[in-house]
Amino acid sequence: MKLRKIFPAAIPVIVAVLFLAAISNNAYYLTIFVFCGIYVIAVSGLDILFGYSGQISLGHAMFYASGAYTSGILTTKFGVNPWLAILAGLLVTALLSFIVALPASRLVHQFLALLTIAAGNMMYVFLSKATSITNAMAGIRQIPDLSIFGYELHSNLSFAIFTLLAVFLFLFIKLRLINSSTGRAFMAIRENTTAAGGMGINVRKYKIMAFIISALFTSFAGSMYTHFVGYISPETFESSLSTMLMTMLLFGGMGNTAGPILGAVVIAVINESLQSFNTYKTLLYGILILVAVLFMPRGCYGLVTDLGIKIKTLSRKLVKKNVKN
Amino acid sequence: MEGETEIALFIYKYYKTTRGEFKDMLLSLTISAIVIGSVYGLIALGYSLIYSASGLMTFCQGEILMFGAFIGLTFFRYLEWPFLIALLLTMLIMFVLGMLIERLLIRPILSRHATDIYIVLATIALGIVITNVAQQIWGTHAVQFPAIFGVDTINILGTMVQPEAFVCIFVGAFAMLGIHLFMNKMKFGTSMRAAAMSPMAARSVGINVDLTTGITWGMSCALAGVAGILLGPVQGVSISMGSTIGTKAFAAAVIGGYGNMYGAIIGGLIIGFTETFSAAYITSDYKDFITYGLLALCMVFLPRGILKGDVYDR
Repeated sequence: MKLRKIFPAAIPVIVAVLFLAAISNNAYYLTIFVFCGIYVIAVSGLDILFGYSGQISLGHAMFYASGAYTSGILTTKFGVNPWLAILAGLLVTALLSFIVALPASRLVHQFLALLTIAAGNMMYVFLSKATSITNAMAGIRQIPDLSIFGYELHSNLSFAIFTLLAVFLFLFIKLRLINSSTGRAFMAIRENTTAAGGMGINVRKYKIMAFIISALFTSFAGSMYTHFVGYISPETFESSLSTMLMTMLLFGGMGNTAGPILGAVVIAVINESLQSFNTYKTLLYGILILVAVLFMPRGCYGLVTDLGIKIKTLSRKLVKKNVKN
Repeated sequence: MEGETEIALFIYKYYKTTRGEFKDMLLSLTISAIVIGSVYGLIALGYSLIYSASGLMTFCQGEILMFGAFIGLTFFRYLEWPFLIALLLTMLIMFVLGMLIERLLIRPILSRHATDIYIVLATIALGIVITNVAQQIWGTHAVQFPAIFGVDTINILGTMVQPEAFVCIFVGAFAMLGIHLFMNKMKFGTSMRAAAMSPMAARSVGINVDLTTGITWGMSCALAGVAGILLGPVQGVSISMGSTIGTKAFAAAVIGGYGNMYGAIIGGLIIGFTETFSAAYITSDYKDFITYGLLALCMVFLPRGILKGDVYDR
């Protein structure tokens, strides 16, 4: 019984490890691999908020930025250990997301969307103007590498392995969370807020909780980005980043584990291959969101599962026919 | 005319000698705050109109404003048609565009019984697409919108003001009054509000709900187009002119009271004044920060806005 539970989870793990081994001597592919991993963590975080608890955020770039900038500032200006800096980034993000979530937990969809857009813009203005803290548009340079037991994650391969481990860790946390009573409370709130309240779920508390947990995922992704690239500047954290995360989530399909992975990987790869057509990048997000909203409300993952069900019923019909004959 | 200018000049000199430069700056700031505030108000009117007539929200008014400004610019500057014809034609095109948006984008989503959040996402995506299309047609450079009137500036108490500024203010006030009367006194407006409150009940008393919703979207797009053309001579026309204006106008609608026509203009003026005066006296770097902060505060402490907008729970 237990083996059967572990088995489906083992397949993607093996596939991912084999894939990493296959590309291990190509630095360019490894870079894309790391970015995919970073986005998978961030989008999984957004999924907890939007996919599971039904609250939209169009300003998730602000949590990505708070993680990235806390890491960057602490390590370069104060010489703090990168791991402690990541931890500090998580703390700062928890505080920030709590402040945002307090009013946000009271708002319905559209106003929540507006509030998060506004908060994201406020963060961007702060990053691009506060010269003494964030070094404004010049950005922060020479951010040190992460190191594990004295071994620096300097090469792309070592960072890619670390990314893989981090992705597994966060997906594991997400799965544990979703299958706990907290996760069920999130889903109850998503399906019907009034009914959830009537059943004795503290709606406000769980909404705020979803916001903070989601922000922590994104913050960690931001810190990883900082230490991988080694340079951060405000342009990275513009509202288009929030739009991109939302596109990944919608395109992949939300409310499950595979959807965010699918969306993040596909769009990150498309993004990378469209690098020379930079102006069309945002157009791509727009079109993908429209396609997802209009034609595939459950995203790619929904399409795949629908296809699976169709094949199953079709094969069953065929089997029945054969039996009759 | 001649005498009036002289009087104005006299008053200006009087002010200058007694109150000094300070008063002068205050006046010009006030005028520009009112101008930008009425533009915000005009777009906010579009938001409120859609909300009070269909209970929905759109997030692409800013991009539609930009698109309207470029269409107006094409007619007025490149084809050199008279301003009034360019304005009316732009309004017509934007009206049709709005109806198409409702028909091809909003209705399919609504007919699937999706939650409102999908409308928000779809309109945001549409805004991105519109921006990119405009960029392909008109390029990324900011373009100067030629002056509408022969006169360059009008002297008001010593402050040079573009005549277009007054058109902004006038159109804003006129649109507010007109739409309020239309929604509350005319039969068609009443049927629009009925359609928003309960589409099924409205249908059963013979209101063509699809048509009223379509016309609402058309009207709000036309309003955004007008706002774009009016803003053109004041700020210039560029691809990025819409993005922040759209969000700030949304903030204006929320602060004034969502769904309330007077609230839209009042909210617009509040945002306009906050932005202009904080840029002048506090810090120009953080003016957007202050504006959005005001919005956040308003959402926490005054969720229904100053004029208690009627919020439908759909």
